[in-house]
Amino acid sequence: MDATGWTRRAVLGSLPALGLAACARGGDDPLRMWAMSWEGDYSPLLMPPFTAATGVPVEVQSLPTTASHEKLLIATAGGALPDVFMLFNGWVTEFATIGAIAPVPAPGLVADIFPGVLASTRVGGRDYAVPWSVAPQVNFYRRDLLAAIGYDAPPGDWDDLRAMALKLKRRRPDDYVFLMLLNWPTALVNILSLAGATPLRDRNTRGNFRTAEARQAFAYYASLFADGLAPKALSTEVQDPVAAFAQGYFAIWPSGPTTLRDLAQRGVPPERWSTARCAGPDGPGPLSGQSASLCVSATTRRPAEAWALVRHLTSIDSELHFQRAIGNLPARVRAWASPQMKKPVLRPFAEQMRFPSPDPKVIEWEQIQIQIQFAAERVVRGLQTIPQALADLDERVDRLLAKRRSLVEAGKLA
Amino acid sequence: MTRQERAAWLFCAPVLAIIALVFVLPTALAMALSVTDYSVYALGDWQNLRFVGLGNFVDLLSTPLFWRALGNTLMFAGLGVPMAIGTSLAVALLLHDTTVRWKPLWRVLLFAPYVTSVVATAVVWRFLFNERFGLLNRALGAIGLPPVDWLGNPHTSIPAILLFVTWKTFGYNMIVFTAALSAVPQDLMEAARLDGAGSWRRFRHVTLPAIGPTLLLAAVMSIAGFLQIFAEPYVMTMGGPAQSTTTVLFFMFEEGFKWWNLGQASAVAFILFLMILAITLVQTRIGRRYEWL
Amino acid sequence: MVVTRSLRGVLTTGAAALLTALTIAPLAYMSVVSFMPRGESSTLPTPLWPSRWSGENYYELLVRRLIDGAWFDYRIVPALWNSVWVASLSTLLGLLLTVPSGYAFAKLRFRGRQRLLQLLIASLVVPGQVAMLPLFLIFKELGLVNSYAGVILPSLAGIFAVLFVRQATLAIPDEMIDAARIDGASEARIFRVVVLPLLTPVVVTLALFMFLGSWNDFLWPLIVLADQNRYTLPVAVAAIAREHAADAELMMAASVVTTLPVLLLFLTLQRYYLTGLLGGSVKG
Repeated sequence: MDATGWTRRAVLGSLPALGLAACARGGDDPLRMWAMSWEGDYSPLLMPPFTAATGVPVEVQSLPTTASHEKLLIATAGGALPDVFMLFNGWVTEFATIGAIAPVPAPGLVADIFPGVLASTRVGGRDYAVPWSVAPQVNFYRRDLLAAIGYDAPPGDWDDLRAMALKLKRRRPDDYVFLMLLNWPTALVNILSLAGATPLRDRNTRGNFRTAEARQAFAYYASLFADGLAPKALSTEVQDPVAAFAQGYFAIWPSGPTTLRDLAQRGVPPERWSTARCAGPDGPGPLSGQSASLCVSATTRRPAEAWALVRHLTSIDSELHFQRAIGNLPARVRAWASPQMKKPVLRPFAEQMRFPSPDPKVIEWEQIQIQIQFAAERVVRGLQTIPQALADLDERVDRLLAKRRSLVEAGKLA
Repeated sequence: MTRQERAAWLFCAPVLAIIALVFVLPTALAMALSVTDYSVYALGDWQNLRFVGLGNFVDLLSTPLFWRALGNTLMFAGLGVPMAIGTSLAVALLLHDTTVRWKPLWRVLLFAPYVTSVVATAVVWRFLFNERFGLLNRALGAIGLPPVDWLGNPHTSIPAILLFVTWKTFGYNMIVFTAALSAVPQDLMEAARLDGAGSWRRFRHVTLPAIGPTLLLAAVMSIAGFLQIFAEPYVMTMGGPAQSTTTVLFFMFEEGFKWWNLGQASAVAFILFLMILAITLVQTRIGRRYEWL
Repeated sequence: MVVTRSLRGVLTTGAAALLTALTIAPLAYMSVVSFMPRGESSTLPTPLWPSRWSGENYYELLVRRLIDGAWFDYRIVPALWNSVWVASLSTLLGLLLTVPSGYAFAKLRFRGRQRLLQLLIASLVVPGQVAMLPLFLIFKELGLVNSYAGVILPSLAGIFAVLFVRQATLAIPDEMIDAARIDGASEARIFRVVVLPLLTPVVVTLALFMFLGSWNDFLWPLIVLADQNRYTLPVAVAAIAREHAADAELMMAASVVTTLPVLLLFLTLQRYYLTGLLGGSVKG
């Protein structure tokens, strides 16, 4: 950044601050932070020690997850980004490419992070975000319902899991076995990853869905709906999945660690449920999951304080505090030595974390995931066959990647 | 410049200046944007911006989701306009009947949904439509019908949203029609009655021609409104299930603000504009033919 | 004859009452559910009445709570004030800008009037959304993103309002204005003393229109406001509706808070408003 630009921004920036200082209490402008999901709702809990130590108050804004991508992009374009914000790891490439986030200034900030997790937030060899929580999916399951048909835990490979599910469905025909919301791509992206599918080809410039692996994954996913094992439902319909899980509306729920918090808070008795790694074609395998990181805006006027906040929030103490409060799992290896991480329900997460599956690092990945889910939804609702849907998907993904393809071919993009 | 002219400009200049800034200038810029490939790459680096001519429009025509959105929007308009206008007219006719008592009370209460916020009432209706706990399915159950997965089934999602939109908006045209009905010449009505015309024939040959222009205008405004439907799918279905409620404007919002393809989104905005323009032209044509305008 | 007429009266009045009841039912149910204890509305069979009346949803929604040393707040109360203030200001400024202009287009002779008028009418065809994307870029350059001015300014371009006022002003006889002119009154004074009093019902209708429009506006504030402390009510409600869909009672309470102010305003001013819409042609 050149010196004139900096001073001009500093001068311009200080004007509104001067005006505000008159009405703010004591003139201490809070540092602004945005986060999604439970992280957004519960981050204020982590702030009192930070404010006590630094004297800097922090204002947290909670973004609805489904509206967060546009919110962050609009704020980037409008120059209205907060000082610190959370990104899902799959978005880091995009926001680094458009210059919205600053590179991590000190290697110490990302020391001791699980290597597979850190790799997903690295763009062009530089770290752009500090991984905050790791959220691989596992199968949450109802122990009592499974025990009634003679199972201690859901089997780890697809065929056995299906056999178990059919047995359970026969016993409880009015309820379902799985919950996989039809507008929520994570479960399906995981199934693709477990089947060994590579979603993109040609240096990530084209879709790669007309493969045996993708067909296998789609067929398995669709069969769960076709056999009545999963309800054809959107997130707007299953308004309260936790209550539905507690009521036995479904018995197995692929979900992330925040569900630990939901189940505990809603008073679902711990002997009724447990966790197991997600099943793959021949046993569990690598998964990506919705891990989250903290970033600092490239335009913040208070980078030092912003990074101090990131350091505080991603400290082992904060991570363990968050794990107790909302279930999120620490991204720092040493945090896992804590006794609180030894609970049996956390073991499948701990194992899964050692098998991360990297997402393709392209700006369009978020859009591509949505297209994958749309394609699957069309199959599930009987609007297209699997080969049609996959051919369509390739075409749509190629179209999404057209701009990237032309930049890569012109040598402007690695 | 006369004194009157000076005053006139003083009165008009401020609002005209604002119209120029927030409406004329951006509309011109939109035209310029729609022939570029402004995308998230250009947000990062202006060097990535290129002139693409009509490329965005050509691309749109081969984008399945755009056609889907267009089809959904036309479905909204095609089903919604008769539904909304029909309801408004039926209620207005009922309230026009001389034997109805306490008319002002009914009128105020029937109009009430119109003044409420779309977002708030969409939240309410989303709950009424809930498959398991919604009031609507409870009512269906009470008369022995199976529950309907209103917002979850691609075949019922548009009718469900239309039910909500009709509920929300029919009050406005009801009032407009009430005004038009009260202007129907009474002597003509009386003459028709004396000629022995039944109530349907009186409606067809006396009432309808008299309220024709109002009806036409209301229909056109209503079509334009349905073409711009956005908040309802945004709050109730997020464009789903299976993209069955993705409308042109919803598509534009997602393309433009969610994925920052401003070039593409501007092209969508222009197509929307052309559609509304076409409908207005049709209205003028019909109006001229029947000498209403 | 008298008997059939009164029977008909009972039937038609009954039909009107039934229709009204159906129309009001969603709003009534919204209010009832907002007082149910948490989770009660999601039990079977769907309850029509609370087992006990509870204020917990309103408490959670409206009151800032201190938990473990941190403040928690849905920021509905600030959003309520933002909405009141944004809607009031845009109504006030909107009237100041459009009423004189509508009068000028109707009664003052100036060069280009006809041409401008035609342009205004033609521009009604262009949907506002066309301007929305570039407007965001313009506002960014002007520093208006994430500001109240950014929300209010577009609502002031009241083309429809100008034409609405013009239409109403045309009904005022020219002689009245000319008489005032001969008496030597300035144009501003004529507008204030002669024209404005005659336009009062129109202005009230227009004011309510503008207020409702601004209060209920969603898409543009959603785009232009980044900071939750500046959110208007619909934006704030939409934000919690996405994450808290499970808490039906809480969402109903939020809907009540959003709709109640405008419903009350409408009920207070309904006589002016509906008369304005009805064009004074219909009596109760």
